[in-house]
Order: sequence, then structure tokens, then C-alpha cells
Amino acid sequence: MALSTIVSQKKQIKRKAPRGFLKRVFKRQKPQLRLEKSGDLLVHLNCLLFVHRLAEESRTNACESKCRVINKEHVLAAAKVILKKSRG
Amino acid sequence: MADHNPDGDPTPRTLLRRVLDTADPRTPRRPRSARAGAQRALLETASSRRLSGQTKTIAKGRSRGARSIGRSAHVQARGHLEEQTPRTLLKNILLTAPESSILMPESVVKPVPAPQVVQPSRRESSRSSLELQLPELEPSTTLAPGLLAPGRRKQRLRLSMFQQGVDQGLPLSQEPQGNADASSLTSSLNLTFATPLQPQSVQRPGLARRPPARRAVDVGAFLQDLRDTSLAPPRPGKPAQFLAGEAEEVDAFALGFLSTSSGVSGEDEVEPLHNGVEEAEKKMKEEGVSVSEIEATGAQGPSRAEEPEGHTQVTEAEGSQGTAEAEGPGASSGDEDASSRAASPESASGTPESLQARRHHQFPEPAPPPGAAVLSSEPAEPLLVRCPPRPRTTGPRPRQDPHKAGLSHYVKLFSFFAKMPMERKALEMVEKCLDKYFQHLCDDLEVFAAHAGRKTVKPEDLELLMRRQGLVTDQVSLHVLVERHLPLEYRQLLIPCAYSGNSVFPAQ
Repeated sequence: MALSTIVSQKKQIKRKAPRGFLKRVFKRQKPQLRLEKSGDLLVHLNCLLFVHRLAEESRTNACESKCRVINKEHVLAAAKVILKKSRG
Repeated sequence: MADHNPDGDPTPRTLLRRVLDTADPRTPRRPRSARAGAQRALLETASSRRLSGQTKTIAKGRSRGARSIGRSAHVQARGHLEEQTPRTLLKNILLTAPESSILMPESVVKPVPAPQVVQPSRRESSRSSLELQLPELEPSTTLAPGLLAPGRRKQRLRLSMFQQGVDQGLPLSQEPQGNADASSLTSSLNLTFATPLQPQSVQRPGLARRPPARRAVDVGAFLQDLRDTSLAPPRPGKPAQFLAGEAEEVDAFALGFLSTSSGVSGEDEVEPLHNGVEEAEKKMKEEGVSVSEIEATGAQGPSRAEEPEGHTQVTEAEGSQGTAEAEGPGASSGDEDASSRAASPESASGTPESLQARRHHQFPEPAPPPGAAVLSSEPAEPLLVRCPPRPRTTGPRPRQDPHKAGLSHYVKLFSFFAKMPMERKALEMVEKCLDKYFQHLCDDLEVFAAHAGRKTVKPEDLELLMRRQGLVTDQVSLHVLVERHLPLEYRQLLIPCAYSGNSVFPAQ
């Protein structure tokens, strides 16, 4: 089960920001608000940084538990911490 | 001496004269002062003035000024036929040729130098009369209408002969007169091979429009290539039908080319015949040759039926495989002979397009064996049949799909940042985290915007959010983060930068 559920990593990632997706999400959440033009780029930046922190934290957790594979528990623990941090 | 011709309208002729007079001739000549003086009177004003000043100096010898216009006058006076420099030729043309180009078909070319010698002397005499340039020319034109053509034809003859020599790579024709006739008939120097076409085209006015293709240069190379390549034996086993069909056209073309080539150059018929046939075979596949040629020669074909056909058969066998794929010359020769004569006038009467189409059709057809053609058609059909009934299972798109798709982008980024293999459940966990994160984000932004009394979320709100998150500190500003993580296109949009014209983008 472990091997089959492991996701291979792609070395090439897209650097494009899903601007439409972000706008749609914001609109769905807060229809009364408007987002400025370059605002979604900053939101994307924010997301990037969040994901980055989350991944680092998960990795640390996995290494501490001496696992070669990042587990769900690692991610969960990491998310708790990071979300608390990202709360404004 | 000071007289100058009123150049009210400078014609090309006068301009040419000017050039000839003012430019330095390469071969300096002994001055002939009397003649120079008389001639210079007729030249342009500037030159005439200078000439008058220089007459004596020239008479003495070399003048200091390199521009010895007198010399040019002398050069003109002499009428250097023996030298035949471009200058002299041009001058002769100027003198002898009328204002409007006239093509005078004449059969005799011969005494070209003689009339030209006569012309300069006449010119001198006329010049001495201090007349205008136009009347100057008129007597020459009236005196020697027949001499115009030789002057022209002579050069034409040369060029045409040269062309032929170059194209065919053969010794010059033995019938220069015939060539001269042919060339004089045509209005341009290029159509050396097209000469027999004109009488034919007159008979068939509908085809006269088609310009004869300039195959002059291609022929030689073509034929030689064909000869070189046509070494392998002809392919056996082809059905005679295709051959017959091809043979007709091959013969028609071959006859056409043979007659044209032979008509122009009255030489050994073997080589041009061979060349013509090979060329025909090759050309049939490639491009539409001027059908007028074929038709023109088609009429001549029957007259030359015997020899060309015999040669065509042989050459067909030779150059058959690669291009025409005609074969079994002996077998189909009998049919070809009978059919070619009938075919050539028929093909001639047919439209050029149909001929080409037929040609193209018949060539690809014999190329693949008929069995293969059948086979090829078969697999195409089942493919076509298969495609439509392929089942398409596209159910309704779930509403979360685009949301998931957007999130998956960040999930991939997560796995990239982690640099470790991850479980699939962990990735689903990441998606949930992201959803939560987005909710938090929007709430925070709303609070910040409301705090600022706005209904629009601005970048300042975002910066405040990041500051509160701890990402932006006094040491690390927002711009630093932007530069670190975002690609250039977004950086340009976010960070104000000064551009030319005293402008800042984006505006602050």
C-alpha cells in the first residue's frame, strides 16, 4: 500500500499563478468584496509562501519520525502549526 | 564650336550620348583636331565648351585634363569596328537604331562590319552640318533601314549563338542564318528555342497565349542527368496499358522537344533527340511544359515521325525507370508508333490542363502496383468505420472540479517543495489545509478592508496580512519576497519601476 500510494515527484513545476481560480475563490467566499488588479498576485504569493512553509514543516516532521515518505500525520501536524501562524 | 544643341527634351539617346562622350575611353587615340572640332559642335553644351577649349591642346598631344573629350570624339569618328568595345557597340546602336524599335525580318546577316563602317562616315558628314540630333538620325535611318537589322541582328546573333552554345554545350550551329532568322523573329533574346513556335501558334491562336517555357538552360543539365541516371535496365512486368498511355505523352513531348531542339540547331539529330526525349520524360512528371511547344511540334511530328520515334523508343527504355517508368519499348513500340501519330495531334488539340492532369494521373497510377492500391484502400475504410462508434463517457463535470484543479496546482507545489515522496492521503490532507487557508485569508482581507473603510481589497491589505503572518518583517520587505518567489512578469506588475519618459509603472 505504501508504494502504490506514493506520488512521484515532478521536477518541473509551473510558475504561473492561477489568477482566475484565485479570483473565483475570493468571489465565492466574499461576494461583497472586490479584489484589485494586482491583488491576486499577492494572494498567490501568499499561498506560495504558505505552501512552502507547510512543506518544510511536513518534511521536518517526516525526518524526525525517520520516515522516508511524508505521511498524512506529518502533514496534519504541520498544518496545525502553520495555520495557526498564518492566521492574521 | 560654341554651338550647342538645344536639349529641350533629353531622350535616353541623348543621355547615352552624354555618357559616352564624357566618360573616358580606355584606349587613347591620336587626336584629330579638325574632325574633333567638327564633331564637338554637335555634342552637348558643357562638353562642347570644354572641347573648344581643349581642341588645341588635344591637337598638340595630351591635355592635362584627363577628360579628353576630344578623344572620345575621335573614338566615335573612327568607328571602331575592329575593336568592338561596348562603347563602340553602344554608339553604333545609337546611330543606327531608329527611335522606335523595329524588327525587320531579314534573311541575310552577313556584311555586318561593312555597313557599320559606312555608318560612322555618314555620321561624320551629317554631324558636320550642325543639325539636331533627330534629323541626324533620320538620314541614317532612311539610308539604311536594312542596316538596322544587321546591326541588331548581329548582336542578337551573337547572343543567341552564345546562348545556344552554353545551353547545349555543343559546337555552334552550322546555320547561323537560320538562327538569325529565328532570333530576329522573336522579340526577345531569350527565346532561342521557341522560334518554330510562332508559325504554329499562328495556326492555333488559342494556344498562342501560352509563353514558351524558357527551358534553354535546363535542357542540357537535365538531359545529362537523365543520361547519367538512366543506366539501370527498364523494369519489366508492367502492364502495357500504362505504358501505352504514358508512351503517347512521352512521344508527344519527345517529338516536341526533339523538333524544337533540332529545328533550332541543325545538328546531329541523335543527341538532341535523345536529349529531347529524356527531357520530356522528366518534365512530364515535374511540371507542365509549354504545351504550345508540343502542339507546335506535334504538327511537325508526323514529318519527323520516323527518326524521332525510333530514338524515343530507345531513349524511353533508357530513361524510363526513375521518372516515367515506361518500359518494354519493343513490346509497345508498335502501338506507340501508331498511337503517337494519332496521339500527338490529339494531344495537341486537347487542352493543356487536361494533358497535365492526365499526365499526373497516369504517372502515380503505374507507380504503385494495382494490387497495392487495392490493399491501401482497404485499411483506410475500417479506420474510418472505427472512429465514430468509439464510446464516449463524459459525464457531467463535478462542480468541484475546477476548484480541485486549482488546488492541485498548489498541491503539486507542495510536493515540489517537500522534496520527498509523499503518500496520496497526505496530498488530500494538503488540499484540506489549503481550503482552510483560503477561508482564513478571505476573512482576514475583509476585516482589513473594512478597517480601512473600503470595500475593495488593496495591496496594502495584503501587505498588512503578510506582516501579521510574519513573512514580512523590517528586514524582509514585501518587494524582497516578490522578487524571491514570483517570476519576472509578475514582479514587473507589482514593484513600481521607473521607465523612460519620466513614468513609473505601476503608478503609485
